[in-house]
Amino acid sequence: MIFLRRQIPLLITLITGLVFAGQYYVPHPASEQMLTSVTKWLQIIGGFALVLGVSSLFHVHAVKIRRKEAGWGYSFVLYVGMLGTIAVGLWSNGKEAVDGAMTAFGWIYNFMMVPLQSTMFAILAFFIASAAYRSFRARSREAAVLLIAAVIVMMGRVPLGEYLIPLSGDLSQWILNVLNASVRRAILIGVSLGTVALSIKIIFGMERSYLGGGKE
Amino acid sequence: MLGDDEGETVSFTERMLKIDRRIIFLVIGFCTLLPLLYPVGLPIKISQEVRGVYDHIESLPEGSAFLLSLDFDPASKPELHPQSISLLRHAFRKNLRVIALTLWVSGTGMADQVITQVAREMGKENGKDYVFLGWSPGGTAVIINMGQDLYGAFPADYNGKPTKELPVLHGITNLRDVNYAVSLGAGRPGVEEWYVFGKDKYKFEMGGGCTGVMAPGLYPLLRSGQINGLIGGLRGAAEYETLMGQRGRAIAGMDAQSATHLAIIVLVIMCNLFYFSSRSRARSQGQAGA
Amino acid sequence: MLKTSSFSPTQPRRAETRLFPYFILGSSKSSTYPSGEELPGSSGWAGENCYASGFESPAALLDSRFEHPALWKISVLLLVIVLSQSWLPVFAQTDAEKTPLSPPQDVRVFDTPSDGGGSLTVLWSPASYDSAATSYQVLLSEGTAVSDPSAMKVVAEFPANQRYVRESKWPWWTRPAAGEQHQFTLKNGKGGELKNGNAYSVTVAAVSNGDRAIATPVQAIPEPNWINWNQMNNLLLALLFSGIVFYAISIARKREIFLRRIPGLDAVDEAIGRATELGKPILYMTGAHDMSDPSTIAAAVILGRVAKRTAAYETDLLVPHREPITMAVCQEITKQAYLEAGKPDLYKEDSNFFITSDQFSYTAAVDGIMLRKKPAANFFMGQYFAEALLLTETGASTGAIQIAGTDSDHQLPFFVTTCDYTLIGEELYAASAYLSREPVQVGTLRGQDIGKALILVVLGVGTILATLGVLLDAQWPKLFLDFFRDVK
Repeated sequence: MIFLRRQIPLLITLITGLVFAGQYYVPHPASEQMLTSVTKWLQIIGGFALVLGVSSLFHVHAVKIRRKEAGWGYSFVLYVGMLGTIAVGLWSNGKEAVDGAMTAFGWIYNFMMVPLQSTMFAILAFFIASAAYRSFRARSREAAVLLIAAVIVMMGRVPLGEYLIPLSGDLSQWILNVLNASVRRAILIGVSLGTVALSIKIIFGMERSYLGGGKE
Repeated sequence: MLGDDEGETVSFTERMLKIDRRIIFLVIGFCTLLPLLYPVGLPIKISQEVRGVYDHIESLPEGSAFLLSLDFDPASKPELHPQSISLLRHAFRKNLRVIALTLWVSGTGMADQVITQVAREMGKENGKDYVFLGWSPGGTAVIINMGQDLYGAFPADYNGKPTKELPVLHGITNLRDVNYAVSLGAGRPGVEEWYVFGKDKYKFEMGGGCTGVMAPGLYPLLRSGQINGLIGGLRGAAEYETLMGQRGRAIAGMDAQSATHLAIIVLVIMCNLFYFSSRSRARSQGQAGA
Repeated sequence: MLKTSSFSPTQPRRAETRLFPYFILGSSKSSTYPSGEELPGSSGWAGENCYASGFESPAALLDSRFEHPALWKISVLLLVIVLSQSWLPVFAQTDAEKTPLSPPQDVRVFDTPSDGGGSLTVLWSPASYDSAATSYQVLLSEGTAVSDPSAMKVVAEFPANQRYVRESKWPWWTRPAAGEQHQFTLKNGKGGELKNGNAYSVTVAAVSNGDRAIATPVQAIPEPNWINWNQMNNLLLALLFSGIVFYAISIARKREIFLRRIPGLDAVDEAIGRATELGKPILYMTGAHDMSDPSTIAAAVILGRVAKRTAAYETDLLVPHREPITMAVCQEITKQAYLEAGKPDLYKEDSNFFITSDQFSYTAAVDGIMLRKKPAANFFMGQYFAEALLLTETGASTGAIQIAGTDSDHQLPFFVTTCDYTLIGEELYAASAYLSREPVQVGTLRGQDIGKALILVVLGVGTILATLGVLLDAQWPKLFLDFFRDVK
């Protein structure tokens, strides 16, 4: 059992990891064909993961409704919404519009999903303002530098700021192109090295947490 | 009495530092709403980043294959929708062959709507001048598959027509045949994935568009020439509209953005004044106590 | 009667063509006109102004017309000079045009190396006529026999001052020729069909002012290659870095390696302790991505450590998920942690629960949990996008202590401003090593640091060389910089 749960997945990881790391350096059409096949399998498995996600969602909220836990009414609303959207979507064949005419699925998409998602994203503007008011205090020299840079970039990125202080536009471009780009590059290098190191550990079986559980 | 006045001043400062968030929300709400109702229309300066995308599309000969990947969902619509409209108008004006798709399932309907709307406005025909391939699961796997065989990745377009029969895709077998690609990304998969799994492997020219928050993170790609242009956020969309000579939602939104930025700057300055005031008050009280 | 010659044998005249301003005047004289003898009424340069026959020469006529005879002679002289100047370029052009256009030299064609096939590379030497006025055509035909090169298909045409080896992206170890050689790559589909295993004839023609000079066709066969030598630098660097990591792990297994204190991780115990004192739960999030993302794996590893502490302190743990596979893995990790802490009975199956994959639906649900259950500590580990600020700002409003760890550099500003401690970038990966002190984790960290040090050295050396090159206006730094550029 342990062999099936541990050794076989590690062996699969080792072989496929090395093969597809090497595939990058082999331009032969046979190698490209192998990559295409595997990516198609990835798409198929991705589809299954969707099914897994939906069934897990159903299970979690079914338990909540059955046990009548706190907030079970919302679970009931979720059930109704999910089943209703699935039914309407299947009836409309997954299309939001047919020959220019909006379907029922399109109606749900345009008048429920789009406004709700936009609203959630719009909240960010207000949260940024309240977070800035609470956090942008010059408690130290570093905080003061952050504050000044933030003010310059905020001024320089809008027409009103450039109109009031023409230099702010060029300064903010310089901050973005020179200071920001160099720091982002540094973080990117560090993160990339970390990603490569973690990938090497996973391929060679030194990192097994993705299998679940501790060492055996 | 002096002590009472000092106490009132301190409490006022501290009250201001701990002001209810809802007052700040109200200020921001007004600053966003009023310029939309009473626009000002300040001039917009064009940046090199946006000009990079514009100039490259301008340089493409008629009939070139232009791939536009609309990798965003309705949440990012305010910033990326104006970008997509401007890019599509530009591509159709230059009579390019537009191949559109999306890697985000929740953005499929919106992508279809924007392409259909702009194509109708520019008098373009589906299948002949443009195609919307729709969405396929897999994210980066889709990019790799398109790089090998576009028809294998998308056997049919969003309307179910076989892609091999479409005149707009004539002569295009994979991503190597694309003349220019732009990814309008709100996250992952987005511009970085298109570069790593697309341009780096299949060697086509590429530009990017993204939300304002993501733009600073893509500057390393821009500075190194991995992408030849970047349309960042609503400001980038407004610059593109200015280059196109068409006023749209992005230019309209810049007034609101200007007012909001100014409001945040004023709030930040005020909070720092209150902070330093309370700090100096606390220091002087501490000295007096000693 | 003998036909008398028009030339007197005693005074022979040779017909001479002189590019000389006087020749018009001289030729107006009779060929039998005696030279050197003075005749009555003669004047002028030639000393004569009438023919022996008595007719006036044109020179004499003009002399009689002008008050100052020298004036007209100077005028004529100037006129002839101007006219001859305008003729000379014509003569020069004619001379030049008459030089035939030479075909391109040293044309070589071979299968493009390090590719998947369907491509041929053509090289040829630069010529003296390389300019924007001349163009090169690349000609292709299938098969080895070419009866008429001029009938071959033109697959490309471009100005002759373009397409050099130095402009293409060959690294120095695979560059096929010197930088000043011309190069063109024929690819399948672009202008012509190139099938692997089939022989093709390729040549180059120079075209200028309607003339075309075609070089001798050369044959080649496109084939797919098994190794991409252009990417060998990438492979060598990857192997080098892997070697460094393995070496560092072997060192870590033998002796203790110093790790600097990461304040965010020290706060983990403090946060869990605070939650225990307040009797409130701990909220732990693993980010937006699935288990294929390194940041999610790092978040899962840290969850194991946090779960062990919460098991020991008997604090409630809530772990909402966006990915079902991540949820399944984290369930196993949490169960194992409770087992290792000796509290398997305290483990709750639904401590790890799936909400939804949708970004803002998940955010709204978690915000609701924060406002209702008011956890004392919030952990944000993994990849985050726009929901980051929505989550952290809501958490801050409930008064919870917040610890974040992410490699999403675009969300870092929001985490830094709203959280008490933030693990930036690869500190998240370092966190699992710091908490566990396992040799593998610590060794990997040391290996990454060595890799970063090497990159820093190259950056520093490259910057100094580039600066020296500019200050001294020297070319030698470019050799090293090109080396770095190709090897990267």
